[in-house]
Amino acid sequence: MTEPTLQVTHPLREMATMFFRNYTAVFGLILLIAILIFTFIGPLVYQIDPFEMVWAPFTQPGQDEYLFGTDYLGRDILAAMMAGGQVSMAIGLAAAIISVVIGVTVGAFAGYYGGWVEEVLMRFTEFFQVLPTLLFSMVIVALFGASLVTVTFAIGIVSWTAVARVTRSEFLRIRELEYVTAARSGSAKDAYLIFRVILPNALPPIIVQANLMVGSAILFEAALSFLGLSDPNVMSWGQVIGSNRPYILDAGFAVAIPGFAIFLTVLAISLIGDGLNDALNPKLRQR
Amino acid sequence: MRRLLSVTTALVLTAGMTAPFAQAEEPKKGGTLVMAIQQTPRHLNPAVQSGTATGQPGAQLFAAPLRYDEGWNPQPYLAESWEIAEDELSVTLNLVKGAKFHDGEPITSEDVAFSIETVKANHPFKSMFAPVESVETPNEHTAILRLSKPHPALMLAMSSQLLSIIPKHIYGDGQDPKAHPRNGQDVVGSGPFKFVEYTKDQHVILERNDDYFIEGLPYLDKIVMRVMKDGSARTIALENGELHMSGFEQDPLNLVRLKKNDDLTVSDKGYGAIGPINWLAFNTQAEGPTSDPIVRKAIAYAVDTDFMLKALMRGTAKPSKTGIHPDSPFYDGTVEGYDLDIDKANKLLDDAGYEKGSDGMRFGLTVDYGWPTVKPPAEYMKPALKKIGIDVTVRSSPDFPTWSKRISNHEFDMTIDNVFNWGDPVIGVHRTYSSDNIKKGVIWSNTQQYANDRVDELMELAGSTNDIEKRKKYYAEFQQIIADELPLYPLFPSPYHTISNSKVGNPPDSIWGTSHPLDRVYLKD
Repeated sequence: MTEPTLQVTHPLREMATMFFRNYTAVFGLILLIAILIFTFIGPLVYQIDPFEMVWAPFTQPGQDEYLFGTDYLGRDILAAMMAGGQVSMAIGLAAAIISVVIGVTVGAFAGYYGGWVEEVLMRFTEFFQVLPTLLFSMVIVALFGASLVTVTFAIGIVSWTAVARVTRSEFLRIRELEYVTAARSGSAKDAYLIFRVILPNALPPIIVQANLMVGSAILFEAALSFLGLSDPNVMSWGQVIGSNRPYILDAGFAVAIPGFAIFLTVLAISLIGDGLNDALNPKLRQR
Repeated sequence: MRRLLSVTTALVLTAGMTAPFAQAEEPKKGGTLVMAIQQTPRHLNPAVQSGTATGQPGAQLFAAPLRYDEGWNPQPYLAESWEIAEDELSVTLNLVKGAKFHDGEPITSEDVAFSIETVKANHPFKSMFAPVESVETPNEHTAILRLSKPHPALMLAMSSQLLSIIPKHIYGDGQDPKAHPRNGQDVVGSGPFKFVEYTKDQHVILERNDDYFIEGLPYLDKIVMRVMKDGSARTIALENGELHMSGFEQDPLNLVRLKKNDDLTVSDKGYGAIGPINWLAFNTQAEGPTSDPIVRKAIAYAVDTDFMLKALMRGTAKPSKTGIHPDSPFYDGTVEGYDLDIDKANKLLDDAGYEKGSDGMRFGLTVDYGWPTVKPPAEYMKPALKKIGIDVTVRSSPDFPTWSKRISNHEFDMTIDNVFNWGDPVIGVHRTYSSDNIKKGVIWSNTQQYANDRVDELMELAGSTNDIEKRKKYYAEFQQIIADELPLYPLFPSPYHTISNSKVGNPPDSIWGTSHPLDRVYLKD
C-alpha cells in the first residue's frame, strides 16, 4: 500500500484545464483560430490585390466567382477581408500593447508608492477617463493625419485607463502581502519589488483586461474608419465599411460582410477573455 | 459720336409677362415657397461675398443690371437697355425708371456706380471689374462704364449675384462694407423680395416686394430658405413635401433616389455659369515625374473617366474634356480625349525611359484630396495607376485648410480639385492657367504652376474682345493646348441639380441655378 501523495499540478496546466473545461471559451478560441487562418493563410492561397479593380462595381456576393462580391470601385471584397483582417488584428494588438504598457506603468507606480505619487497619477488617469474616448481619438487623428501609426496610437492613448485602475488595485492588495514584506525586509529595491515580485502576481486580471482591449481596439478602428478617419492606403475591415458606407442602401453586403467579421472577431476575443478570467480566478479554481 | 452696336429693345416688362417659354397654365399669385440652402450664409450681401450660400438669398434681395436666360443671352433687368460702344471701351446702362429700394428711396445711377466700386474693391473675383476705370452718371437713369480695354466678361459680371445693386445711402456711410452691420440684419435691397428675418444656422425669410420694378411680379408672397447642411435630411424633406425646392444638389446617390420620385423634378439645367469641374491637377513644376508632360499623358490614358461617370457618379454627371464647363458656349468638345488605353500609357512611359522596378513599379506619386465627397476619385487613382506601374499614395488631409495649405504652397504631386467657371472664362477659367497667377499661398490660383506663353497670349486675346466668334476660336486653341500639355486632367463636372416638386411652377433654369431671381416662380394649388 502506497502512501497517498499530494498531486501538484503546474499552475499553467491547471489553468489550461480550467480553460478547456469552459466550452464557450473553447468555441471562442476555435473561432479566433479560424479567423487567423483566414486572414493570414488565406492570402497565400487567394492571391488578389485588395486594391485592384477586378470586376464591375457592386457585383453581388457569389456572382461571377466573387465569393463576397465587389465594392464600389469593383475591388474584390474577399481579398479586402483577408488583407483587412491582418491590419485590423495588428492595430488591435498594437493598440492593446500601447494601452497595457501605459496602463501598467501608471497603475503600478500609483499602487506601489501610494501617497502623492498615487494622487497625481490617479488624477491624471481620471483626466483621461472622463474624456469621451471616441471624440478624443478623433481629435488626435484629425490633428496628426490619418495614418496607421496615428490611428493605433490614438486608440492606445484613450483606452489605457482601465488597465491602470486594475493594476493599481492589484498592487494595493499585493504590496501588503507577507511575501512582499519578506522581500522588502531582504532589502530588495523598489524596481525589483514592482516588476519582479508584485507585477507577476498581479498579471491575471491584467491579462484578461488586455485581451478584451484587443477586441475593443478593433471596434475602435472600425468606428474611426466609418467616420472616414483611416489611412486610405491601408485596407482594414473598418476601411471597407467606411468607403462603402455611402452606398449602404444599394449594396448593403459591402458593409455587412466586414461588419460581421468584426462582430465575430470581437465575440471570439470576448469569449476567450471570459474563459481566461474564470481560469485565472483562484476562487473559482477551488470549485 | 459713338455708334450703337447693340440696342436691346425688349423694354416692356408688363404684368402678365411670364417665363420666356410657353406656359400651359396661368401663374398663380401667392403662397410661401420653402427651399433649402446648404450652408449658413456669412451674411446676405453678395456685393462683398462670393459663394452660393450668400448668392441664393442675395439674388432675391438685390437686383442686378442684367439677368441671363437659359441660352446665355443677357436680358434686361434693372437696366432696361444697354449699349456697347464701337471701340468697346464704354458700356452705357439705361436704368428702369421708377425703381425703388425696399425703403422707398429711388434706385439711381449713383447707386449703380457705388455698387460697382464696392464690388471692385471688395469682391474676391478681382477680374470682374478690373478694367472698369470709372463710372459716369450723366443723369439719374444712365450709368456709363469706362473701360481700359474691351472686357467681354462684363455682361456676365453684371448679372445675378455678381453685381448686386446696393443702396449708397446705407452702405456708403464710410463703414467697411465687408463688415457692415446691415449685411445680415435689416437689409435694404433692390430685388423682388424683401428681408424679413435671418437666423444663423436656421433660416432666411423673405417676403414679396410690392413695389418691385417689374409690375405683377413676383408671384410668391414669401420665401423661406432653410439652412439644411445634411444631404440625406434634404432628400427626406423633399420626399415628404416639407421642401418645395432645393438647388445645388450634387450627391449622386441622393439624386438617383430623388429621380425615382414621380412628384419631384430633378433638373441639371441652369448651372452652366456656375460651371463647377472636378479635375486631377498636376504639379507641373514638381521635382518628381509630374513635371514631365509624357507622364501626365500616360496618367490621363490610365484614368477611366467613363468608369467614374458610371460607377462613382451614377450617370448624374456629364463628360467634360476641358477646364471649361460643357454647358459654356466656349466649351470645345472636339479636343483630343484620353480614352482608357493602358497599353498606350505603358508604352509612353517605357519609351520615356521610366523603367519598371522589380516590384513592377516605375515610381511613386501622391494624390491629395481636401474634402470627403472627392475621396472616391482619389481612392480610384491607386488601383488605376498601379496598372501602369505608378505606386500611388493617397494623402488625406484632416481638414480643408490643411489641404489648401499643401496645394497652394505647391507641396503635392497630384490632387483632386474642384474649381468653378463663374460665368465668363475671364472670371473663373483664366486664373487656373495664367502664368501671372502663380501665387504661392493662394488656393485656386494657378497652383499647377503651369506657364505657356501662347496660352497667356490666347487668354489675353480672348479676354479683350466682345466678338464671340473670335473668342470661341481663341478658346478652342487654348483648350487644344491645355488638353495636350495637361496641367490638369478634367474628370467630371459636379453634377449640380435643382430639385423641385410638382407644386412649383417655373423652377429657375437660367445659367445661375437657384442663385437667380425667383420672381417668376409660383406655387400651384
